[in-house]
Amino acid sequence: MTTTQENRWIGVSAPRREDAPLIRGRGRYIADIEPAGTVHMAILRSPYAHARINGIDTAAAEALDGVHCVLTADDLEGIGDFPTIWRLPGQKECTTPAFAPGKARYVGEPVAAVVADSRYLAEDALDLLDVDYEILDHVVDVEAALADGAPVINEDMGDNTIIEYTFPGINALGVAGDIDGAFEEADEIVSGRFKVGRYSGVALETRGHVAEWDDLRQTLTLHSGSQVASLLRTELAAALGIPETSVRILTPNIGGAFGNQWDRYPEDILVSLASMKLGRPVKWIEDRREALQATVHGREQLQEWQLAASSDGTVLGLKGRVLSDQGAHLHSVGIGPAWVTGAAAVNQYKIANYHCDVVGVATNKTPNSTFRGFGGPEAMFGIERMMDKTARRLGIDPAELRRRNMIQADEFPYFSPGGAVYDSGNYPAALEKALEAVEYDKVREEQQSLRDQGVYRGIGISSYIHVSGFGPSAILGILDYYTGGYEGSTVKIDPHGRATLYTGMIPMGQGTETTLAQVAADHLEIDIANVRVVWGDTDQTPYTGFGSAGSRSNVAAVAVIKAIEEIKAKAVRIGAGLLEADPDDVAYADGRISVKGAEEMRSLSLADVAQQAYWAHKLPEGDQPTLEATYVYDPANFTTACGTHVAVVDVDIDTGKIDWVKYVVVDDAGTIINPLLVEGQIHGALSNGLGGAMLEEFVYDEESGQLLSSTLMDYLVPSFTDLPDFEIHHLVTPSPHTEGGFKGMGEAGCFPAAGALANAVTDALSHLGVEADQTPVTPSRLWSLIDQAGG
Amino acid sequence: MAENMSVVINVNGAGRAVSVEPRKTLADAIREDLGLTGTHLGCEHGVCGACTILLDGEVVRSCLMLAVQADGAEITTIEGIADGDDLHPMQSAFSEYHGLQCGFCTPGMILAGIDVVSRNPDPSPQEIREEMGGNICRCTGYQKIVESVQAAAAVMSAEGGSA
Repeated sequence: MTTTQENRWIGVSAPRREDAPLIRGRGRYIADIEPAGTVHMAILRSPYAHARINGIDTAAAEALDGVHCVLTADDLEGIGDFPTIWRLPGQKECTTPAFAPGKARYVGEPVAAVVADSRYLAEDALDLLDVDYEILDHVVDVEAALADGAPVINEDMGDNTIIEYTFPGINALGVAGDIDGAFEEADEIVSGRFKVGRYSGVALETRGHVAEWDDLRQTLTLHSGSQVASLLRTELAAALGIPETSVRILTPNIGGAFGNQWDRYPEDILVSLASMKLGRPVKWIEDRREALQATVHGREQLQEWQLAASSDGTVLGLKGRVLSDQGAHLHSVGIGPAWVTGAAAVNQYKIANYHCDVVGVATNKTPNSTFRGFGGPEAMFGIERMMDKTARRLGIDPAELRRRNMIQADEFPYFSPGGAVYDSGNYPAALEKALEAVEYDKVREEQQSLRDQGVYRGIGISSYIHVSGFGPSAILGILDYYTGGYEGSTVKIDPHGRATLYTGMIPMGQGTETTLAQVAADHLEIDIANVRVVWGDTDQTPYTGFGSAGSRSNVAAVAVIKAIEEIKAKAVRIGAGLLEADPDDVAYADGRISVKGAEEMRSLSLADVAQQAYWAHKLPEGDQPTLEATYVYDPANFTTACGTHVAVVDVDIDTGKIDWVKYVVVDDAGTIINPLLVEGQIHGALSNGLGGAMLEEFVYDEESGQLLSSTLMDYLVPSFTDLPDFEIHHLVTPSPHTEGGFKGMGEAGCFPAAGALANAVTDALSHLGVEADQTPVTPSRLWSLIDQAGG
Repeated sequence: MAENMSVVINVNGAGRAVSVEPRKTLADAIREDLGLTGTHLGCEHGVCGACTILLDGEVVRSCLMLAVQADGAEITTIEGIADGDDLHPMQSAFSEYHGLQCGFCTPGMILAGIDVVSRNPDPSPQEIREEMGGNICRCTGYQKIVESVQAAAAVMSAEGGSA
């Protein structure tokens, strides 16, 4: 901490103020909002992977009693698409339209919408819509999509390659590696081909909106579960062709977002357009099938890596090609996650020579976009599998190989050949702590004797970096990412000395309200009960450049601290006047404004000063009445959370079932604001990571192009019995770049999960030579590998 | 369309009469006709457990029943388990042990937890995991829910089965 007061709340597991309504069933989620006169929208989605839409007969649906309107692409005149805001050089232009543009490009793409008295009736009317589809050839495999003669999904692009982007291995100081030299010099060249499965956040609450158009005031109020209200407001106004000043976004409780709610979606436009057309509130709540078909997917990549090593285990170079299966079109963040994969793939290791080609490819699938982890887990899976393959090839223990290649604690800031600047960390210490916690040597020793008894136990190590706290905005500009990286905060002290904090962050379950209150209470040095946090109303809260994410509290917290610094300085100026002292002799401490050295005698409470600030009878020259400040903080650098996970599993070679023995986490997220909530975030992110490592997958049928896993019976999310107890240890290396030393950590848990699991499974089956190179490592997939290996 | 039917349900201790379409699910009737929005809908096909309620003392998924099938039944929803301002021990434990994040699964989890403890006053972590396997949470990774249910079980048995 850079401030002088003792922390009473930062570092404390303060109880969550969010909980009280939620445990009573009095949360207010989007589906719970229903203004008087609300009508309900349902959406017709393409049942085909690729089909031209020659016409839609809406007459029968429109004639149904209780139907208010039917919307099709014909109603979109003057309505714009949502842009892709990450527009890398060479990337073909691609937007997100409200309806399939003349042809449907994936199963689930919106084709028409019906608004009716009830959702039941609206769905009845969907059955009456008659669409003339002309079915086209489709492609759902990324390599097939690149082959000659593949159906072209977006004709204006010419082919299915959306972008080819190269990481040339030049660090932020401009130092270039020599990748060819590294491979010439190598004693061993290790190759790997990895399929990272397609899965996503699959929040338990589906998406939804309630739009209220007021035709007299010409204003649109959108109640929305979006996790990025500021950007939604800007882009929605532009798409609808109305002034942004007319749009207000209100955010209720969000039932999980996991990055998927960061994107702008067709339905954001459709529900608003319907309300504007009808002049009454329109509500749309996604059903589960829609959620699986039409909320963005994540992750899917085909990676090919080659690693050059010397016989002593030094990694000399890494080169690779990442094919990112983008689905039918780029969504809000373009190929952003795959770009991050390319930027992060060298992970914690001193790999001076690096080259990576990232290719964004269109397929007839749901767009692949923002999901917790955002390319990082994919990168960690590839590199951590490569480290284990290399260790095995060289006959070096996988822990030892990592040890020999890790960036050391005194080598920060570290300029990675992926382009990132790592701010701080102690990677070897995290590794050793994890090995100690898991009793690595003992487990290794037992492994052999267990194997003799037919128990196939494996240990999987996976280290990670998580570049978080996106910003500074100037860097986002260099990356062609068309948004800012800042967070704003307004703090107002009322005449009684209590604080209200306005944040642009959108809480979605991670406890933002509580953590920001902790930061504010400590820096104002007042009781946390006297801090109120206001969020979720674009009419009141500051604009946030980047929008909310689980890893943004670190940036938002600094905005709070900076605003409070301004308030304290003003309180000192006002207080000095009242105390008839020189402001230099007056200090703010313990929530009081006092003359230094005479704190007992000449001292005012924050409330005393605040009351004076509101009366404004005797303000210092130049100070405005009231006591409030707004600070928009643009971070000085990204922060790099890091750590090591170790998984220990037993594999049943007759069934391919994986049983947990132990899962150890060592995590370093800098200064921790609330340990209990941090633990919760690690657990949650890990369960997202392990879900995709073991079970969760959007499976497409090659022949029909259908999404086969479009119910929760087929798309398997981890249940109580699928996940282990996690053992968590912390290291604390405060970020030198942020006030308070905080780092983003809400996503970190999912980064190493798949690598740890796959390495453990591969280790357990090393006698068979089975390599778990495709996620999810489902029992059936694993059983097939064991079977093929003759196990 | 079929005509509405009148259904009488005892909800959280009070008799309520509603007039619903025969095809309306019990979950939708609870939310829309009874105004109790604490019962959530996560999948509407009986997998996620967010819509869990107690019906005549048994846990059921209210998305898999029609409202008309509940005629004459007694149901308990999340809104009915606290005693005025006094929270049920299961509610307190979920908050204390960080058994919830976004809170969307929480009403169903709390009711499922109460059901587990009513049948097994001292469940082991493994028993809790097995018995609650029908409720999905995407935020917590379950470990803190297991801790919450165990803690609540201890309080509930100390209070002599006040559940």
